[in-house]
Amino acid sequence: MAGPGDAAPSGDDGELDPRAAALLLANTQRQARRALDFRSPRLSLLGAAAALAAFGAIWLSVRGQHPYKGPTPAGLVVLYVIVAMRIGTFVYARRRAMAGVSGGSLRQQRAEAVAVAAALIAVYLVMAALAHAGASDSVVYGVYVGTATLVVLGTFGAASSAARAHWPGLALSAAILLVAAGSAFAGPRGVWLSDGVGCCVVLAGYGAAQAWLLRRPGSGP
Amino acid sequence: MATLDPLIHAPARLQIMATLAALPEGDALSFTRLQDLIGLTPGNLITHLRKLEDAGYLTSEKTGNGPASHTSVALTHQGRAALDLYTEMLRGLLNGL
Repeated sequence: MAGPGDAAPSGDDGELDPRAAALLLANTQRQARRALDFRSPRLSLLGAAAALAAFGAIWLSVRGQHPYKGPTPAGLVVLYVIVAMRIGTFVYARRRAMAGVSGGSLRQQRAEAVAVAAALIAVYLVMAALAHAGASDSVVYGVYVGTATLVVLGTFGAASSAARAHWPGLALSAAILLVAAGSAFAGPRGVWLSDGVGCCVVLAGYGAAQAWLLRRPGSGP
Repeated sequence: MATLDPLIHAPARLQIMATLAALPEGDALSFTRLQDLIGLTPGNLITHLRKLEDAGYLTSEKTGNGPASHTSVALTHQGRAALDLYTEMLRGLLNGL
């Protein structure tokens, strides 16, 4: 963080010009946000690539299916590998950013992770129930599973962002929900391509917006 | 003419306050992480933290004993309000220049 190149000395007390103080305050705020917030532009851009690759792999595995049967084992392996890598990247970035931080927000994040996991388990239990009830493959392994996961993640993200008054996060989550809802109209094959392209565009746009916000002068005077 | 809070209007303490303010209210930051982020020597950082703690702008908590002990610091509500006021006054000063 602070170093010899900064506008004001970072060591002992000294005469501090208001302009220098404003610059120091803005720089410190920007650097602290970068260091302590794991939601970086790079993470968002990696997420965009992961979404395109994961959903794209599923789409490639189902696009020629007539009648529709659902994602192939090969497609699912690619999906799960990408999801695992994404989770690993996310956990690493979070651990690095939150090193040395303690308090209520950490406990809240852990509770939220449990809530998301429970919701996703419910999604797949409902999928099994639909299959058991005789719903068609194109519904169970196509439209439903292709949209329900995104709806859960988007809804959770929107609620969590709204509770924290994190408006960019709320906008991102709302966009993901729109992608999921719109993709449902693309049919069992098209839903995967639509999800992949839609999420990629949304996440890439979010990452670009994050990068722009980080570069512009901080919230200081 | 209103003057800027002299406790905050010092390079090191301004950095400390601004860094801790980046955390959500109720969260604390370890001494070592804060030192790493700001780049002060341990002795220098302790001196400034004590001044801010004596003024009620931050709290510190030590856990553990001996070499395994950890110290965490967090801004108090009063500290956040003081920083907000400082920022507002600084903005006013700069607009008037």
